[in-house]
Amino acid sequence: MEIIQIIVLGLGLGGVFALMGAGLSLVFGVMRIVNLAHPSLIIAGAFVAYWGFRMWGIDPLVMLPIAAVILAAIGVVLYKLFFEREAKSAKYSEMTVLLTFAVAMIVEGALGAMFSNTQRVTSPSYATDAFFIGDVFIPKGQLYAGIVSLAIIGGLALFLKYSRLGYAIRATTQNREAAALLGVNVNLVGIQSFAIGIALAGAAGALVSFVFSFFPAKHWEWIAVLMSLVVLGGMGSILGTVVAALGLSVIAAFVGAWIGSTWSTMTFFLALFLVLLFRPQGLFGEKPELV
Amino acid sequence: MSKPFLSVTDIVAGYGNGPAILDGARLEVEPGKVHCIIGPNGAGKSTLLKVIAGVLPIRKGEVIFKGERLNGLRPDQVLRRGIAFVPQERALFPKMTVRENLRMGGYILRDEKELQRRIDEILERFPILRERAEQHAGTMSGGQQQTLSMARTMILKPDVVMLDEPSLGLAPKVVREMFDIMRMMTERGVTILLVEQNAIMGLKNADVGVVLDLGRTLFEKPAAEVLTDPRIQELYLGGRKAA
Amino acid sequence: MPAGLDTETTSGVLEARRAYNATLVRKADQTRATWFPFAVLAVLIALPALQFAGNYNYVLHLVLLTASYVAMASSWNILGGFTGYISLGHNVFFAIGGYFAGMIMARYGVSAILLAPLAGLVAAGFGWVIGLITLRVRGPSFIISSIALVMIARLLFDNWQFVGAANGVTLPVTELSAQWSKLPYYYAMLAIAAVTVWASYRIKHSKFGLGLRAISKDEIKAESAGIDTRFYKVTAFALSAFFVGMVGAVWGEYLTYIRPSIFLVILIAAYMVLMCILGGKGTIAGPVIGAILLMAFNEIFVATMGASELNILGTGLIMALALMFFPLGIVGTLAQKGRLPRVLNWD
Repeated sequence: MEIIQIIVLGLGLGGVFALMGAGLSLVFGVMRIVNLAHPSLIIAGAFVAYWGFRMWGIDPLVMLPIAAVILAAIGVVLYKLFFEREAKSAKYSEMTVLLTFAVAMIVEGALGAMFSNTQRVTSPSYATDAFFIGDVFIPKGQLYAGIVSLAIIGGLALFLKYSRLGYAIRATTQNREAAALLGVNVNLVGIQSFAIGIALAGAAGALVSFVFSFFPAKHWEWIAVLMSLVVLGGMGSILGTVVAALGLSVIAAFVGAWIGSTWSTMTFFLALFLVLLFRPQGLFGEKPELV
Repeated sequence: MSKPFLSVTDIVAGYGNGPAILDGARLEVEPGKVHCIIGPNGAGKSTLLKVIAGVLPIRKGEVIFKGERLNGLRPDQVLRRGIAFVPQERALFPKMTVRENLRMGGYILRDEKELQRRIDEILERFPILRERAEQHAGTMSGGQQQTLSMARTMILKPDVVMLDEPSLGLAPKVVREMFDIMRMMTERGVTILLVEQNAIMGLKNADVGVVLDLGRTLFEKPAAEVLTDPRIQELYLGGRKAA
Repeated sequence: MPAGLDTETTSGVLEARRAYNATLVRKADQTRATWFPFAVLAVLIALPALQFAGNYNYVLHLVLLTASYVAMASSWNILGGFTGYISLGHNVFFAIGGYFAGMIMARYGVSAILLAPLAGLVAAGFGWVIGLITLRVRGPSFIISSIALVMIARLLFDNWQFVGAANGVTLPVTELSAQWSKLPYYYAMLAIAAVTVWASYRIKHSKFGLGLRAISKDEIKAESAGIDTRFYKVTAFALSAFFVGMVGAVWGEYLTYIRPSIFLVILIAAYMVLMCILGGKGTIAGPVIGAILLMAFNEIFVATMGASELNILGTGLIMALALMFFPLGIVGTLAQKGRLPRVLNWD
């Protein structure tokens, strides 16, 4: 029964990682920007939820939509300040990636200056509680986080599939010129996608705030993990990112349980290198090399 | 002569800050007819279509459609006024189904019900597409994709449809079927502007022939005349014997 | 029908074409001031004489630190500037060099300075192997793999008992007097920096460098032109790891302890990249200027505001501004406008 426990833990975390990576994938698909600042914005979202709880006792799950909206606003500001020029060309460029790297440092620096580098964690009651089903011990926090993540991702999928903006986003991702010809305002779609992507980061942050302990510099750990997921799933495929997140997290959970927790993080990186060796385009990626 | 339908006069246009590809191109489009534009590489044929569609800015000259000046309009604005454009790459969305691609064709329509009605209508008219309604566009053959892009233009019931080298990469039998579709469209009152690399075949299937060279329009005559003109045969159709 | 071309208009057109082309040619023959780098080097070599006059240890430390970054940035430039592959985790080789030399020094007492070239080779070896894997992809995937590399290294070193895990290993201290204790490291680092800059100059002006430049512009075309892009890229990776490894070896001994948190922090990797961007990616003088500038910024910053997260904020801001408004860096932008001072033209 330990196995079930491990799987559940893995899926719970995997759901959160999937949510963390979904926003990244979305932005890359539409604008071909690898946003290295995404994890730092997740941390920003975590801080929003944290302070909501600390100051007003608001449950992080309730703070989630608030964090999402706040982060979306921050995202639009960052976009206008730094990315608008680059986004218009919508072609991949190293300079843009470095720019997102710089923005990540700016966000981290700002958070650090405001909140210092102490480790924090939001502690609603369920964060330390657990369900006991027979022999299986399921931490409530991770379970809730996993379920909420998957629900949000499900909502995202429905949105992309059926709404008018969803169509516009998918069209822009698949064939930007064609979308423009058919009347899609691709620049506006770019901003909107970016806002949605960062909103997803904010939501993920709210969940992260009680699942992990966090501090401004923690985003570096996640950059590597999230990026590994995105490469593994195939750049630009949200589905790929989700599958990779769930799959790898379960594997990492087993590694963590049987070998040691350090190695569980390693799993993601090792998987990345294996993918690069044998299938550089990832699970659902398009071409053998970069898009 | 009746009020001009689509007039393109003395167009000067190019890419970016580069030299002028079009330098004095003109076109008088007659409603309901198939116009085939031929000419050597680099003559500006695709450029002309892109200029009309609003994809390329016009440096000099005018495009007037049903009395309205189209200069400076965005592609979607041109689309709204009734001119559809299918570029060389067919402009499909590979991971969307046929149905979804059709839906994107009607993106600017706000009336969801009307849009669905038109999609169903198109699927009815094109059995090949109906069979593959839920198939991803990227997995279809070249001919099927071409059918889809042409059918998709019909969603908005345009007055003019412009096709840039539609026969590219298609087998001859498929090309014939494609020209049949074009006939069907003209029967419904659509005017077609066609750029064809394969000049003879294009002219044979057209009503009006337009010869473009060095960025300007050299000839604009009924297709049959263009086909049989010895000078044109010599220069553009591969010699007198070819036609 | 096409107008006939008479000779008059033909030669007129040809002349116009020639004139137009002339304006396109970059003014590549700005004369070099070859004496300048040597002059600077001479001054730096003589600098420790100041110690006779008083305690200038801090100045020496600063120069040493700057020299180490000059070497690392120039080294990074081989892969990032010449070949166009951005590595955000190059400090891995810093760590490999440092640990290799440090561990041998801890066990057998051999000075890390002497081991530096060997440490460099070891780092280069790792670079070669890693490059074989990660250079199979381009662009964003490659950058991501470089970040993952640092995280892997950090995890490994933090948990490897043999090298002291997170606590690291203390190294034997030199027995020189306080007045002269910095000297060996000072000269070692200066030497490494000089060698690295010289090497990057030679590489840039070699056939190998030409191939790298072709790869950075358009890899597919370079491949079809017959360049063995795989070999070139991986060699560039290994070369860029070599010098960084040497710096690591000397640095470890200088600090007298080796620890993951010294080598494997993101700021070091960020600095390497930022220095090249600020100075001018792909130029020879660029990384040098960038290193000096950034170290100066840093000093002023720390002096006025104290080290803190603001440091990261500041670094990020500088990088963002540089990328948005001076993507070619100082040397690059000046060169493009034809206004590069002779002393800065080291290409």
